[in-house]
Amino acid sequence: MVKRYTSMAYKNADDMIFGTAVHPVKAELGLEVGAGYVTAEVNYAPRPEAGVSKEKLVSEYRKLTTDILARAVQIGFPAVSLETEHVEQMTNNPTWGGEIAHVQKTILEEYHEEYGIKCGLRHTPGDIREDRDLLALIGGKYDKLMESFEAVADGGADFLSIETMGGKEILDYSILRNDVPGMIYAIGCLGGIDMGMIWTDIKKIADKKGRIAAGDTDCAQANTAMFIAGGLLDKNLAHTLAILARVLAGSRTLVGYEAGAQGPGKDCGYENTIIKSITGCPIAQEGKSATCAHADVMGNLTMQVCDLWSNESVEYHGEFGGTSVQCWSQTLNMDAALMNTAIQTGNAKVLRDMMCLSDKYRDPQGYVLAYDNAFKVGQAIVKDGNDLYLRSKNAVVEAIKILEASKKEGKLVMSRFEQNALADAKASVEALTNESDSFMSDSLAKYKAEEPRFRPEANYKF
Amino acid sequence: MDIDPTKILVRYNVQKEKAQSPEQMATEMFPKTEPARSVAKAIFEGEEDDVIEALEKAIEKGASPIALIDDVLMPGMKIVTDLYDQGVIFLPNVMMAADAMLEGIEYCKETAGSSPKPKGTVVCHVAEGDVHDIGKTIVAALLRAAGFAVVDLGRDVPVDEVIAAVKKESPMMLTGTALMTTTMYAFKEINDRLLEAGIKIPFQCGGGAVNQDFVASYQLGIYGEEAADAPKMANAILAGKGLAQLKDQFHKH
Repeated sequence: MVKRYTSMAYKNADDMIFGTAVHPVKAELGLEVGAGYVTAEVNYAPRPEAGVSKEKLVSEYRKLTTDILARAVQIGFPAVSLETEHVEQMTNNPTWGGEIAHVQKTILEEYHEEYGIKCGLRHTPGDIREDRDLLALIGGKYDKLMESFEAVADGGADFLSIETMGGKEILDYSILRNDVPGMIYAIGCLGGIDMGMIWTDIKKIADKKGRIAAGDTDCAQANTAMFIAGGLLDKNLAHTLAILARVLAGSRTLVGYEAGAQGPGKDCGYENTIIKSITGCPIAQEGKSATCAHADVMGNLTMQVCDLWSNESVEYHGEFGGTSVQCWSQTLNMDAALMNTAIQTGNAKVLRDMMCLSDKYRDPQGYVLAYDNAFKVGQAIVKDGNDLYLRSKNAVVEAIKILEASKKEGKLVMSRFEQNALADAKASVEALTNESDSFMSDSLAKYKAEEPRFRPEANYKF
Repeated sequence: MDIDPTKILVRYNVQKEKAQSPEQMATEMFPKTEPARSVAKAIFEGEEDDVIEALEKAIEKGASPIALIDDVLMPGMKIVTDLYDQGVIFLPNVMMAADAMLEGIEYCKETAGSSPKPKGTVVCHVAEGDVHDIGKTIVAALLRAAGFAVVDLGRDVPVDEVIAAVKKESPMMLTGTALMTTTMYAFKEINDRLLEAGIKIPFQCGGGAVNQDFVASYQLGIYGEEAADAPKMANAILAGKGLAQLKDQFHKH
């Protein structure tokens, strides 16, 4: 049974800061997240050919883990956290993921013992819940996924995470058709329903194994929207629509915490500033030091209230400066050192505001996710926190309000396309009911007719 | 703390915005005669019912349903894709227009009881182990919108199934998308199996973690950075370009 958030953890947006969370969490090897300092979280992917066998994969992760720890010690960093996002072979074969977690944790323990470096290990099984053509959120794949969580928890992973896919069948349809009610239904409602189920079970495993249920992210939907939206000159999706997907992700990702997750939230959850404002839980974020993985329009802003600072993902290979994981872990750790210096010298809020302002007006997405505006979205979500539909709709309404209000300020300049998309979105949201039941039943009928991959009974127990 | 953002960023998209609205530009491009004009307008607006209504009227007046596909529906869609290529309209507009056009083509085919000859056949798939298929969906829609027949194998497709489909369909091109590094390794296997079978068709690969260096490491691989590259590549093949020329044109880095 989930316990809904109906109030904010922070009284004011200005109270939020990087490195400190209302509810810090502690890993096994001395690392505390949100306890007054920021730590680098290094994330990586194996080379393509490493996936052909368990032995090759284990060897790949052994090498890259050793590389990261060796570089951290060489440069003198006090702490580091690792995130292993599973390739499909590792989750589909739970013993593979479990063994890799064990190998990695053993290396972390050795370095912790010898040098005292504080370490954390996050494992993120892949959401394998699908058949060839359909999402299959409940059933055999769900059971296998839970086995994977058990295995990585046994292997020593401190933080358990996942990027769940609930609602994606409708999101993929609606995002390509400028269908804002469809986005609300996909992300806020269907995604929220799925998260309530899966995170209740992940929390049980975490508690049983003495691990931390960390958090989810709406990568499959909000990041899909952000990725499709692309840069300033891309014409694949209006950025004003991408930010609506993102604030909806705030309502959805929150469900994991309502089911017992404690953070640190996953790095690619750009909605995490909203989540931190509501829950007070620590968050990981990615941005300017994740250019190895993707381009985005808010590389500094995302650092504003982070507790772990991540590179998102880099393929393991050689660079001039060492292996890729060494290069990126060094960059992340230097970023963390700067933030920790700001904390120690009493300049944290100054640095936070500089990071925020350097991107705030770059794009509608950064503008709404600036911590002051993200806080307002958080307030809109908890206002009707008990109702997945209403709080999602509230988030969209608030984001539209924030963007419209920006016109008076005059600093965020939006293209005509973005403004037209925003106006269309506003009109479609204003036409929506305030009755959750009728929205759900209307959407059910509409998408059953329009999207053959939608299986409401099997996936969402309708 | 506050700033003047104009010194630290430039909104190039606002600067580059055309003086005319997309609607104005499209209106200038619509054919002057009916039913082509009504159909093109309905396609541009993504209005399926209006497309069918205009086609019905034309057929009632004696137009050939199959001729309408080539003479009216495809040119109508080309206005939309041209505006997308020029950066004037967004992808959702293209997707909705494609939905409307494809509905129109189905109507014409049913009415005629036959099908027109497509420009060529393309087999599309998502790599085994990978279920992220929005990129493939966009590729397939853009290819169909450009007049190609698409055999969509779906997602998480085993190598054997891809090879069998290529042998059965004899496509002019194969496409593959993948999000993860280890799943995209299947592309190399597909390349090797196709070569073993003596099949040398361009194999367009793209998506999330896929990069040009990896794709260039196997003989048939052509890297597609954007989904919109797919129809351009198919048209280049129709124009007679071989593997080396395709790599030259589409390998940008």
